Amino acid sequence: MTAELAVLAVDDVPPALDELCRLLRESPNVSEVFAAGDPLSALRMIQNGRFDAVFLDISMPGLDGLELASLLKKLSDPPAIVFVTAYEQHAVAAFGIGAVDYLLKPIRAERLADALARIDRVVPAPHASPEQLPDAMAALPVETAGRTRYVRRGEVSFVEAHGDYVRLHATSGVHVVRMPISRLEEYWGPAGFVRVHRGFLVALDAVRELRSDSVGGLLAHTDLGDVPVSRRHARDLRERLLAAARTGRLDRSERRV
Amino acid sequence: MAVSADQAPDRAPARLRPRPWSRSDPVAVLNAARHIADELKDGLTGAGVRAAARGVRRLLEADRVGLADLSGRPMWAPSPPDDEHAANELVEEVLHTETKSGRPPLVALPLHVHHELAGVLVVAGSVRRSAVREAADWVVEALERGRLEASAEQAAQAELRALRAEISPHFVYNALTVIAALVSSEPDRSRELMIDFADYIRYSLARHGEYTTVADEFHAIETYLALQRAVLGERLSVQVRVAPEVLAVALPYLVLQPLVENAIRHGIEPRAGTGHVMVRGEAEGNDCLISVEDDGLGMDPGLAEEILAGRGGTDSVGLANVDRRLRSVYGAWFGLVVETAPGEGTRVVVRIPRFQPGVMP
Repeated sequence: MTAELAVLAVDDVPPALDELCRLLRESPNVSEVFAAGDPLSALRMIQNGRFDAVFLDISMPGLDGLELASLLKKLSDPPAIVFVTAYEQHAVAAFGIGAVDYLLKPIRAERLADALARIDRVVPAPHASPEQLPDAMAALPVETAGRTRYVRRGEVSFVEAHGDYVRLHATSGVHVVRMPISRLEEYWGPAGFVRVHRGFLVALDAVRELRSDSVGGLLAHTDLGDVPVSRRHARDLRERLLAAARTGRLDRSERRV
Repeated sequence: MAVSADQAPDRAPARLRPRPWSRSDPVAVLNAARHIADELKDGLTGAGVRAAARGVRRLLEADRVGLADLSGRPMWAPSPPDDEHAANELVEEVLHTETKSGRPPLVALPLHVHHELAGVLVVAGSVRRSAVREAADWVVEALERGRLEASAEQAAQAELRALRAEISPHFVYNALTVIAALVSSEPDRSRELMIDFADYIRYSLARHGEYTTVADEFHAIETYLALQRAVLGERLSVQVRVAPEVLAVALPYLVLQPLVENAIRHGIEPRAGTGHVMVRGEAEGNDCLISVEDDGLGMDPGLAEEILAGRGGTDSVGLANVDRRLRSVYGAWFGLVVETAPGEGTRVVVRIPRFQPGVMP
């Protein structure tokens, strides 16, 4: 998961460039941060060095970020590109060029972490991809009073981590299974389970309501209880729910295995 | 060929099968005049110019009629004259001098729309001068009316846009004051709030398209509430609840924020102690129901009615604006519903169809 990334930040406004570099330096999976104050020195640095990712401002004098990005795409081994800009209207063009992400200024640390995670996924790194796993986990065996029975994935609303164990909150009750939550996330992620917190997975179609309160905390309410959503995961959960609502995949019965 | 002629029977009937035509029949004359006016709705650069020229020719029983805009290239009906060069020169001359020129069988008249030169009418054939003058006046009148209609439409759109721009200066200054106060004591928090503030402004100024999604509206509300919490502190207690199935519903920008702002402003700010605001989004059959409820002072239902009608004073235009925008998009039945009584708090309900043709984010 943690590739050590070498990144280049490009912005013609010095305080914005400093801030971006500071945030990048504070990010755990970034090893080296370089800064360029204009597109031409950026091009020179890219020619002489090897970068995993380039964070590009769009409106710059001379050569704008979109043009610079199209040039970079012609390299034999182009770096991942993330645009950093104040305006939303370039987003379509940016993704058309093949940008990995699009950050709005001023930048939130959580959003930057998201972008770095995406870069991590596109930069080749040796780790097993969950798609290759067979879907052998549609039901999990649980031991109750010496007897083994199976809990179907479709009846689980959310999963809570408990050290090396997980607690499955299902319509038939709460079941404990020995498995780290990150492993279960790999198995069940493609089936609509989303990591919403360090210690929680929730089934998208089990979410009845998103609730937030005065303190700013977000909860995903399910029939079997409330699941805390951490700030880092809030955006991802919202987007996944929105996508599911758009495609009519919120109907619980359809997911049953 | 026959098929295309069938499909557009109104396009060129005069050429295909000349109808019996009598200038003494008032119905026929009025009809022809109305067609000319319709075709000129988009001005002399519009798509209907050739059809309008055809109409004028029929009305005047001229050999040919041309209508030119300021570029000086006339659209001819039925076809350009043999000596097109001479006709073009005549048009150029009229555009230059802004007075009529030529003599029968070829005359050209300037068209002044709202006292400003807009184009030229050219008539070839033996037509009385007075008839040509009348035709030119009619064309000018049609152009003037088209221009008025277009600007009325623009004004209506501009009004809807103006209703949307809902940044409250009261809130902006409060938020900036808090952020400024936190810069030295809590730099991280002030940075966080500054980014919230940027998001709030970005969303409020969003100019791409008319519509957004319930998901984005609720997200904007959360950003707004984060800032309001910094301003009001413990006095504000908020709960936001939204059901996933309404997240993708499309609605006009900034419907929710003025309602929440109103709840805070009239329900919580004026009184001491903690006030509670509840925002909910849920599905009800084919409708999406959004409600904003406060446990504040409430008001006389009659006053609420006045406010919705836009007679509540400058302090409460927010609600009336939202009400008008909803009605203009969804129809008269989809305005705001306000449930209130003195001392009983206020609940404002937005009901919108979950699927509405033409409303897309």
